[in-house]
Amino acid sequence: MKQRVAVIVPAYNEEHSIGGVVRKIKALGEGYHAIVINDNSNDQTSLIAQQEGAIVVDLPCNLGIGGAVQTGFRYALANEYDVCVQVDGDGQHPTEKVPYLSKTLNEEKCDLVIGSRFVMKTDYDISCMRRIGIQIISLFLWLSTGVSIKDPTSGFRATNRKAMGLFAKDYPQDYPEPQSLIFAHKYRFKVKEVSIEMKNRMHGTSSITSLKAGYYMIKVLLAMFIDLFKKP
Amino acid sequence: MLRMQIFVGLISLAFFVLTFELIRKRILREEYAILWLFTSLFIAVLSLWPKMVPLISKITGFYYVTALLLIVTIFLIAMLMHFSTVISRIKDANKELTQRYGLLELRVREMEQNKLG
Repeated sequence: MKQRVAVIVPAYNEEHSIGGVVRKIKALGEGYHAIVINDNSNDQTSLIAQQEGAIVVDLPCNLGIGGAVQTGFRYALANEYDVCVQVDGDGQHPTEKVPYLSKTLNEEKCDLVIGSRFVMKTDYDISCMRRIGIQIISLFLWLSTGVSIKDPTSGFRATNRKAMGLFAKDYPQDYPEPQSLIFAHKYRFKVKEVSIEMKNRMHGTSSITSLKAGYYMIKVLLAMFIDLFKKP
Repeated sequence: MLRMQIFVGLISLAFFVLTFELIRKRILREEYAILWLFTSLFIAVLSLWPKMVPLISKITGFYYVTALLLIVTIFLIAMLMHFSTVISRIKDANKELTQRYGLLELRVREMEQNKLG
């Protein structure tokens, strides 16, 4: 039986890019369903996604990326999908690599597969600052859990039913990507990282700007540190 | 001394009336109001029985106004912590409701489309 893959797209005001993202997911063929979580956008995101044939969940309040992605896990769990792949709504993630992520998940019998960027041809300063920040977060993760992930902030990832089940119940809300790796460690997930080349953002701005990178990093580290002691 | 007693008594009365009014107008829920009612009660006791202040000073060893300020500050910080936990709980509930609402709305939309199509 062919696997059913839910491609979860959290989107907040992404009317310029959401159409393209949904089209590319549909182009992956049978078994791949685009599930757009519209995080209370003020623009045409929901309408465009629906017109392109996506399954759209409209949230009546803005929950942020964590809450939106968790909604996707809940949908996928309830509708008996085998695999969830999370893709950003801004068109930054290479959608054509979705099958590669879900294949790796199955073949390596992992619970969570992370697609990491290793090339970023953005403005040097910004990418440099961000890269240092990411490396420090990565180092912290390695020191505290022994898990080595080069890009813990990547939101391009695949999860199996076990992982989506646990994330549907308990998923970090503030800085979900790095924090969820602590959760994954606590739940003893098998995690694998694969390298993937990523494009620059086409529309909108990243939620992490260069000025805020340092502040972001400190907050992430603090949140991750607290997560280490959180009760399950 | 008497003037001060009257002044403090008026403050406690104002506090009490305010809390009562907020409950009556359903702006404040009873469970949180109890805290404020006790606060106004405490101030009232303070005005009716001013000797309590030196008594507290004797028990705790705080003899200065700054020490009183410290107690008030600790009380306020404790209140703020309490409110932070309340806000966190409300945010969690809001997240849960938002997610369920979104998923239910999608199901309703799909069911309606199936009925029409």
